Amino acid sequence: MRAALALLFAVPSFAQILIVTPHADDYLVCAGGTVAAMIQNGTKAYVVRVTNDEKDAYGISPEEAALRSRAESEEAASVLGVSEVVSLGYSSGELGGVSPTELRDRIIFFVRQYRPQIMFIPNPYTHYDADLDHYYVGSAAEEARWAAGLKNFQPPHALVQLAPHLAPELFYYSLPLDPERHTPESTPTFVAQPKIVDITTTFNRKLRAVRALKTRNRALALDIRQRLSNRGKRLPLLDPINDESLDRLAEIRLLGLAQLAGKSNEWPLAEEFFYAGSDYQIPSAYRK
Amino acid sequence: MRTHLGATACLVAFCCAALLAEKLPHGHVPPGKVFLVILPHHDDHTWEYAFGGLIAKFVDAGYTGYYVRVTNDEKDGSFGWAENNIVNHREAVEAVRYLGMKEVISLNWRNDHTDSVPLNELRAQLILLIRKYRPDAVMAYHPWGHYDRNPDHRKTAKAVAEAIWAAGNPNFLPEHLGLGLQPHRVPYCYYSQRSDYGRGYRPNIAFELNDSQMERKSKAYWMNRNVRLQPSIAREIRAELARTHQTIPELEGLNDGEATKKLQEWRMYWISAKRGQENGVKYAEVFDFIDEFDDVPGLKDYIEQNAVTK
Repeated sequence: MRAALALLFAVPSFAQILIVTPHADDYLVCAGGTVAAMIQNGTKAYVVRVTNDEKDAYGISPEEAALRSRAESEEAASVLGVSEVVSLGYSSGELGGVSPTELRDRIIFFVRQYRPQIMFIPNPYTHYDADLDHYYVGSAAEEARWAAGLKNFQPPHALVQLAPHLAPELFYYSLPLDPERHTPESTPTFVAQPKIVDITTTFNRKLRAVRALKTRNRALALDIRQRLSNRGKRLPLLDPINDESLDRLAEIRLLGLAQLAGKSNEWPLAEEFFYAGSDYQIPSAYRK
Repeated sequence: MRTHLGATACLVAFCCAALLAEKLPHGHVPPGKVFLVILPHHDDHTWEYAFGGLIAKFVDAGYTGYYVRVTNDEKDGSFGWAENNIVNHREAVEAVRYLGMKEVISLNWRNDHTDSVPLNELRAQLILLIRKYRPDAVMAYHPWGHYDRNPDHRKTAKAVAEAIWAAGNPNFLPEHLGLGLQPHRVPYCYYSQRSDYGRGYRPNIAFELNDSQMERKSKAYWMNRNVRLQPSIAREIRAELARTHQTIPELEGLNDGEATKKLQEWRMYWISAKRGQENGVKYAEVFDFIDEFDDVPGLKDYIEQNAVTK
């Protein structure tokens, strides 16, 4: 048992991380500060972007949106310091029609290729997130993390020297939509627990990365403007919508989210997760 | 005497609990003109955990309402599949019109088989309806409710959750735009589910019902006669009471059909009075309300504080 434990924890801390994200912006908005801090500490980060973000646009075709979003997702990731972005190209908003097993198996490949110490995945248990792409990707990634460690999943991988690999640490990320999200799960072991991470030193880098997603930010601004217009209202900040107003909107949004997450720990700026770390793998009672 | 004291103590404890329990904020009908009720079955809008009173309240405020029935209800009632579908649809039209809504739009998916329906296909139908009717509010089952064993409830709720925002995005089903349909995002949603189904449904708002709204809610419920007025309902209750030598005086002299109607009326008044007592009014219904811009945490406060009239 001790030998197995020593092997498990011999991997250098923060060697590499794998981030699975449904859309270009999800991991940046929910986990960008934490990822940036890990990268600053010498971690190599890899991103698997599952969809093509074709729906995140107003006034341009899905094809044009997908093209622009791909370039912008790579630019944003490079601002954060991510080593590589792999885009799987599934139509965004349509993952309900994709086989969960297919999606899982695609992610298994990258877990075995990048062999991460830590994985960041969308939290499939989040309530009130009406974009079900987040749920589908979170479920597939959670299953892939576990299955990638078992050789009988996708055995042909062995033929191309992709060995089984289990990422020992897992961060579940999501927008803070669920009023019950700070309620701990039922037991302190074997299930993920709430975790707040201070991002004060990396907030600006996260903000610069999010600002690079110009097509997505413009879509959000147009969406807000349209919804307010339906109510006979307007937001002076968005008169007009230009680079300056989009940058300011991104800053207000990220500050609001970071302050919301920091409230419970009295940090000025934070991100919130559900975290499954070493205690999740092997409870401390067994690690004597 | 001891029984009397026990009952009094229970009553006092119940009243204290009701007084001490945290009351929900009271809701108001939001500004707007149109609402959609999107539910799987013909009678889902009227039962004790549903929207009968809220529908009456919206209609009283001048709204126009449409009822979207997702399945064909072939399993519910005393007939075979085809006839149940026809009878239940007819009674749904009567109940919906009695509540003041305009019409029933029936999607006719097979009852209790919607687990096999592709979510994106059902979502596409709802997106079209949302773009056509442009509702300011939607009432539906709770998309994140737990322990709801009915597959139609789960599938419909999930499809609603996505359709209400996807309908506002022009890159979803762009072919609609060629017909002159414009994107439309639903600003206000009211979700409900059985409140005894565990975590996943915690109401955050209460709506007070007046006597007229309460009466319409109660009657609309039993107007779904094929399901709600089966004489066997009263027959079984009477048989159970008879086994313990009890009776309900108010039901004496009524046949089983009439007694069932009375029981169903009491049921609706009982749950509405219970929700009312919990929230400091005579009658109430409770819901999980999703407000406009709840989907953009971090920006919602800024928008509310800085939006101005055009």
